[in-house]
Amino acid sequence: MTAHRNGAPVLEVKNLSIRFGGLRAVDDVSFTVERQRITTVIGPNGAGKSTLFNLVSGALRPRDGQVLLEGVDLTGAPPHRLQRAGLARSFQITNLFPDLSVFETLRLASQILEPPLRAWQPVRRSTIAIARAGALLERFDLAAKAGHKVAALSHGEQRRLEIAVALAGEPKILLLDEPTQGMSHGDTEETAALIRDLAADVTVMLIEHDIGLVMSLSDHVVVMHQGRVLAEGPPAAVRADPAVQTAYFGHA
Amino acid sequence: MREPAPTETPAPARDPLTTAMRASHVLAGVLVVGALAFAAFGAAVGDTFYLRLATEALIFAGLALAVDILLGYTGLLSLGQALYFGLGAYVSALTLMAVPSFWAAFGAALLAGTVVGLVGGVIANRVRGVYFALITFGMAQVVGKVVYNTRALGASDGLIGVPVVDIGFGPWSFSSASPAGLFLFVLGYVMVLYAVAAYILDTPLGRLLIAMRANEGRVAFLGYRPVTARLIAYVIAAVVASLSGALYPMLRGFVSPELLFFTTSGNAVITVITGGAGTLVGALYGSLLLTVIKSYVGSWTEHHLIVIGLLFMAVVIFLPRGLIGLVRPKIERMLSRERKP
Amino acid sequence: MAVLDYLQFVLAPQMVTGLALGVAVVLVALGLTIIFGLLDVINMSHGEFYALGAFVALALGSIGLPFWLLLILVPLALLPIGYMVERGLIQRVFHGGDRHVTTLLLTFGLGLVIEDVLKLAFGPNPHRPETPISGGVELLGVFVPNYRLFLIIAGAVVIAAVAAVVYRTRLGAMVRAAAYDRHMAASLGVPVKQVYAGAFAFGVALAGLAGVLLAPIYSVFPTMGRDFILLAFTVVIVGGMGSIAGAVVAGLFLTQVQAIASLYISPVWTDPIVFGIMVVMLMVRPQGLFGRLGHA
Repeated sequence: MTAHRNGAPVLEVKNLSIRFGGLRAVDDVSFTVERQRITTVIGPNGAGKSTLFNLVSGALRPRDGQVLLEGVDLTGAPPHRLQRAGLARSFQITNLFPDLSVFETLRLASQILEPPLRAWQPVRRSTIAIARAGALLERFDLAAKAGHKVAALSHGEQRRLEIAVALAGEPKILLLDEPTQGMSHGDTEETAALIRDLAADVTVMLIEHDIGLVMSLSDHVVVMHQGRVLAEGPPAAVRADPAVQTAYFGHA
Repeated sequence: MREPAPTETPAPARDPLTTAMRASHVLAGVLVVGALAFAAFGAAVGDTFYLRLATEALIFAGLALAVDILLGYTGLLSLGQALYFGLGAYVSALTLMAVPSFWAAFGAALLAGTVVGLVGGVIANRVRGVYFALITFGMAQVVGKVVYNTRALGASDGLIGVPVVDIGFGPWSFSSASPAGLFLFVLGYVMVLYAVAAYILDTPLGRLLIAMRANEGRVAFLGYRPVTARLIAYVIAAVVASLSGALYPMLRGFVSPELLFFTTSGNAVITVITGGAGTLVGALYGSLLLTVIKSYVGSWTEHHLIVIGLLFMAVVIFLPRGLIGLVRPKIERMLSRERKP
Repeated sequence: MAVLDYLQFVLAPQMVTGLALGVAVVLVALGLTIIFGLLDVINMSHGEFYALGAFVALALGSIGLPFWLLLILVPLALLPIGYMVERGLIQRVFHGGDRHVTTLLLTFGLGLVIEDVLKLAFGPNPHRPETPISGGVELLGVFVPNYRLFLIIAGAVVIAAVAAVVYRTRLGAMVRAAAYDRHMAASLGVPVKQVYAGAFAFGVALAGLAGVLLAPIYSVFPTMGRDFILLAFTVVIVGGMGSIAGAVVAGLFLTQVQAIASLYISPVWTDPIVFGIMVVMLMVRPQGLFGRLGHA
């Protein structure tokens, strides 16, 4: 494991804000993601969860506030720099390369583990990336589909591949945007087990709608409502919070 | 997680993209064999016309290769690749008129293609999609019109009287005035350009370009800056086009502003689409095919554009992988069968 | 008085000529920009439809039909052609992978075919139809040929009519709705397929009309669309792809730039200057001066 730099938390978000027109999509949001814990962001539709992910992962530039990765200020850095700094993300709607094979997708995603000049040598020389892709195929139960095109995978397989791609570059923190979106109950259970398993090596932060899953999986829950953090804490405490009851579960 | 997968080899060795490239190499090999036979026959009967026509087809195949690197692999439609082809041709002609040396002309075209490609790439890569197509088109038009109006470059007449050169490799050399010799040389030269392009596209960088064609946005989340990757592809394509153009004055003894115009860029796009975009070898076959159509149809009517235009439209509608797409998948299947123990 | 003479005899006539050209370019650019704004298609055959319009006018004129009738007949004749091209060709690739590229390529191929068919039918040499209105008038001391004056006025009327149809009528509202969101429009009962094909046909008819109007000033020849279409594309890009107001402003502006540049610099540098403006525009503001049809 890499040495923890100056003991700072993996991810620290300070007073993050962005507006779309008059809408304060994310409004003065601050929270901390501690190492090797599963942090889940929940909230009703339109609460600003996805926008928050986009701000943290560099897809959007914040208007105010800071994003610190292990104490290093990466506010407004473009996605590729954040990825290289150790922050990776998956997407709510599968966002991959339909024509590439599953193996090639994972090899490409693992390529940043190789020295830069390897990019100019034939792909078969990228042994680190090839080994990493092979390991991910096994871990995500996609080995039988290695040579298939991504477009030919089932929905559940594509969702797993989406997570595997995000994990490929060995990030310090993995942001998963609704990893179980559209999955059957059985697949959701399996994915939950997989995420728990991943959390042993990498800090995980996710957006999730399935409340049962959130409660069983999370170490820490951040509740968003109308662009702001309404409450945060351990799952049980958050569930008991009356403000959360009103805003999120729709009853007092 | 799930039950273990049925016994199937997790086969990282059998890479579909590498197999596809190998299939292109097989077709390229067939082309070389055919071209050598053609050259032997041409030299035996003392032909000049057809050898020179085929040489020109190969030179324009080099330009088409450049268009395919952008369109077929990176997903960028360049409507102005003639800018770099013409650049190479003019730079080569000017160099040859000053110093009649092939290697000087080659070096000058390489340098010019790289430098101008970088500048053009920085401009063109500010935009994407149709805007990229239109900005490349616009840049080529600006340069074409400027050359057309510049007296020092021969204005509308172009540069005439480019001297015949001796092209030499160590002890072996031949004159660019020899039709069979120049044909063989251009064949080798264009195949080297093909091999270099194929090599680059089979590296992780090339794979990144292929991935970008499908989903550029996601590439950034794999740790790569898409603009940089696009710029690299653009410069490579500029250099390939420039180096192809450098051959033109050696064949024809002149260069003219038409080499920079949209007709030239458009022909290269037709060549790639008809032959098969994203195959590299399609650019080579496409160029030969169009030359055959032009000279064959042209022997009884001057209206070959109707034939080419209709063929092109039919390919766009019915054959997204071009004519090579009819053949190459079969070779790919043969190759992947061979690899199984 | 030299300054006034200069204005009267050199600058002003040049600007009037530029204005006539500008109006014609706007007509061609309008069709292009509507087709792009609505269908997302770069119609590379637009210049050939412009040439087709001029040739149809030439052919009908040679059998004795009066020019005034042609102004109506030629666009009407191009409507069904445009409609069939959209339904028969463009729709075939419209839903495929890269719509921009495939439709651009398809219309590029179509342009080649039309151009060569025109060569086959009429020969490669230029034809010069007679000017339907001869003579000229003096406006504020500037001599203006009557036909150019007519062209400017007729063109302005057509442009205003197009804008009125698009922005003021129910038909135009359907077109704009389909441009904004085809699925939403379809669910609201807009016959999206017909609107698409109709808009393409309308754009093509406008190009044909420009061909009829310009034939008496410029010669008629099969490749006449080529140079003209470059200018029209430039206008569409500078004005904003899909913007009607943008096409009008950019068309008039760029043709004045051409007219004045050819006086002060040299006629041979007008094209590089205009294309240079386009390239710079694409670099700094790719969306152009104005927003897109249906979006603004």
